Amino acid sequence: MLDHCSISHKGSGAVIWSRSFTPAASQLAASPSSPVNSLVREALIEGRTAENKYEKDGYSIKWTFANELDLIFVVAYQRILQLTYIEDLLSAVKALFMKMFQPFLVAFVASLRGVTAEEFTIVQLRDALSGWDKLFDKLLKGIEDKAAQDRKSRLRPATRFELTPSPPLNDDSTTPTQSTAQVNDAQEISRNIEALKSRLKGRPSPGGKRRGKGGKGGLVDSPSGTDTDTGKRKASKSMRKWGDSVPTESDMSELDFSSDRTDVHSSPANVSGLVDSSSLGTRRKDGIYEVKDLNFAGTSDGDEGEDEDDIISRALEASAVGKDAPAAQSTLSSTFGGLFARLTGSKVITTADLEPVLNGMREHLMKKNVAKEIADKVCEGVGENLIGKKVGGFNSIKSEVRTALSNSITRILTPKTSTDLLLSIRTKLATGAASTSLSASKSKRAPYTITFVGVNGVGKSTNLSKVAFWLLQNEFKVLIAACDTFRSGAVEQLRVHVRNLGALVGEGKAGKGAVELYERGYGKDAAGIAKEAIAYAQDTGFDVVLIDTAGRMQDNEPLMRALAKLVSTNNPDKIIFVGEALVGNEAVDQLTKFDRALKDFSASAGKGRGIDGMLITKWDTVDDKVGAALSMTYVTGQPILFVGCGQTYTDLRQLRVAHILQALLKD
Amino acid sequence: MESTDTPRPAQLPITPLLPFSAAQISLFAAFIAAIFFVALVYIRNRTIARRGSAILLVGPSDAGKTAILTSLSYAGALPTHTSIQPTITSIRLSPDAPAPIKLIDVPGHPRIRDQFTEYLPDAKAVVFVVDTSTIARNGAAVAEHLHLILHAITSLPPSVTPPALLLLAHKADLLSRPPTSTPSPATLTLATERVRTVLERELEKRRIAASGSVGVEGLGDDGGDEGGAGGQSGLGGLECLGEGGAFSFSRWDGGAVECAGTWVKVARLDLGESGEKGQLSEKEPAEGEDGLEGLRRWLEELS
Repeated sequence: MLDHCSISHKGSGAVIWSRSFTPAASQLAASPSSPVNSLVREALIEGRTAENKYEKDGYSIKWTFANELDLIFVVAYQRILQLTYIEDLLSAVKALFMKMFQPFLVAFVASLRGVTAEEFTIVQLRDALSGWDKLFDKLLKGIEDKAAQDRKSRLRPATRFELTPSPPLNDDSTTPTQSTAQVNDAQEISRNIEALKSRLKGRPSPGGKRRGKGGKGGLVDSPSGTDTDTGKRKASKSMRKWGDSVPTESDMSELDFSSDRTDVHSSPANVSGLVDSSSLGTRRKDGIYEVKDLNFAGTSDGDEGEDEDDIISRALEASAVGKDAPAAQSTLSSTFGGLFARLTGSKVITTADLEPVLNGMREHLMKKNVAKEIADKVCEGVGENLIGKKVGGFNSIKSEVRTALSNSITRILTPKTSTDLLLSIRTKLATGAASTSLSASKSKRAPYTITFVGVNGVGKSTNLSKVAFWLLQNEFKVLIAACDTFRSGAVEQLRVHVRNLGALVGEGKAGKGAVELYERGYGKDAAGIAKEAIAYAQDTGFDVVLIDTAGRMQDNEPLMRALAKLVSTNNPDKIIFVGEALVGNEAVDQLTKFDRALKDFSASAGKGRGIDGMLITKWDTVDDKVGAALSMTYVTGQPILFVGCGQTYTDLRQLRVAHILQALLKD
Repeated sequence: MESTDTPRPAQLPITPLLPFSAAQISLFAAFIAAIFFVALVYIRNRTIARRGSAILLVGPSDAGKTAILTSLSYAGALPTHTSIQPTITSIRLSPDAPAPIKLIDVPGHPRIRDQFTEYLPDAKAVVFVVDTSTIARNGAAVAEHLHLILHAITSLPPSVTPPALLLLAHKADLLSRPPTSTPSPATLTLATERVRTVLERELEKRRIAASGSVGVEGLGDDGGDEGGAGGQSGLGGLECLGEGGAFSFSRWDGGAVECAGTWVKVARLDLGESGEKGQLSEKEPAEGEDGLEGLRRWLEELS
């Protein structure tokens, strides 16, 4: 049932043991596109280890880490199979493997870290793991058998509720299945009827959410469900009082809601939760109660060198305030023990240790305007990589978490494709020129097209003109296509920009005709205008075409389809998503939906095009709350090409990963 | 002179200037002298141009760097997956080598390949490993990576001796016909030539693009960052000696770059007892044999 199973060293990727169960899987595993490779490249390096499942090419891949030895255990199987025992298999394999080969593994992994000078050979490796194949076979068989048995036992309760055929009536020795006790109360009768009915039908459990594994668990729960249900019904259902009889004294008192009787009906309110004693104001001498002043946190303008430890220590303090004296005594001995263990280098990080630190980090990231889901996932990924790791010497858990988090953020922010736009433009123009130089005297090479998409009001047209200015500085001829045919004034806005740009670079080498606007007014089809613009640019010898589209909400399906049509008809070289730096949790939604819509709706033209890069605008409005950059790169995996930080043509910057990282982790 | 019968004047007790005994003072002086010498040696070590001692394996993803590392360290290449972190081992080039050399393998994935800059000051040699069979297709991406390395080497401070650079045309056995037989020297030369021409062409394109463009300022640079020789990310480092014409490895500013062709045979760990899991063809090289001669020879010439 499994296709491939492997145990490898996470850091270097050296495979310690692997097994493929089919010839196709073994060939695939030996190639660069093996499932484990895709797992590492797309999940681990991108930092998406929060979900414990990864799917690619019809394979479902599950994994687990052993962080004390930096090992990863991976199992790959066909996606259509729903194997429930994989998690158990992984943990059992991990436990068994570590137990059996602990000393050898420690030595091997130490040699990969450069710590020991012991000489290994590959023959030694093979010999040391010689018994493992058989053990693994046995383990796998055991777990598969257990899973099969579990499945069978879950199916068995379905037969339990068949009503046994009643014995012949004349037989005095048999006892009836139901008790013959006198039932006086109407409720008892109704309850018994319900119970009988449910047993006959095999009614599913109330609260259908508890379906368990494929609905088979529901049947197991029905007896308890029946009892609680009828019990509840007994308490809630009472006979209705109609108004044809005179109300009694007791009825009158129950129905009396006048104010002097409220103490009978109202329960004492829980006042302790209403007031936070630490935020109480002060009472002045003349008896007037003043509210507390808003505490402006000490601004650290000059403290550039403030330690990043501070954020974590503060987070720990904040969470430790809640844990008062009762915990103090018990932790005294444990702190000494922990301290000793840490100094000797054998303290193992546990979930409990990590929790307060990770919570603090999560809060900190969210304060920096990182979207909540992204902060959750990043911190979870960091935690998963650290659990079980040994922290030694004078490194505290804080510093381990801090380094792991900064590595993770650096990895997410570092682009995986080239962000050199000028090089791509020149390459395309050069290849185009080479192919057409023989045919026509005037070069009719295809121009490089860039499309700007985004929601309303983010600054697409402004930043498009900034990019145009930069391209003009590099002596390209730029055509701006006004494909925003919806918003009033969009074409005029671009006309003003083109006039300004023309005046700015008029003295340069490219001359007057370096930048032009291609527009067809309002109300027309944007895809058609873009197509004509590109054809015009090709005829007239423009180098780059910048296509401005109308802003649209990510939920608006007809507009997203229209955008996808523009993309699929014109096949632009770059699709740049323009987003604001101010956006918080919305960024995740916007980007996922834009990306998904573009890929799905433009897939008819072959491979669906997604977003190729991002441009973050209005950067000058956020000073160090730069979390939007992290959220956006996490969601798409694409790099941030430019950052717009002002309203003039020169306010275009490139992103520096180190700068963002410092801004994110600074207090 | 009168006879020296008169008793000598009583020995006055030597009142020391400090309330320590002589032994303690001499001990203290020796301690100070030791500190002084240690400081002297340390300062001397700092000012002399340091030469690193490690060998750095860099290159794009799937080039075979970890396979080379395991082959050199464990006398047989292990099958590997994509690396996430740098791996450090120590190897002995030959059994009678005086000291083991540190070998550092840096992952090649674009998101994490910048880690090599941490190890560069320590490096005596940098080996850029390239997959010869796919270089024709992804020449531009490989050239970008190589450009980064070249830029980093030329930006090292002058107190550090720049490391020597070797271009390794790896997986040369995939070029030979039939694909799994031991490659001949002609195949190795073919591999090196192919890698050299493709990379020189791509790097020349990058040099032209970088030299003539106006870049965009980096965020938070505050105008204080001069950057390299223009270019978007300030990457320079592709200047050549002499007339400054087309880029060529033999005339590179930071030292001549040599090329060598290599291959390794990756061991199959699942062969174990049941040998039917994999079939070895007859012409395949025996286990433990690898084609890293070019690399070993170069490393020996270096030291």
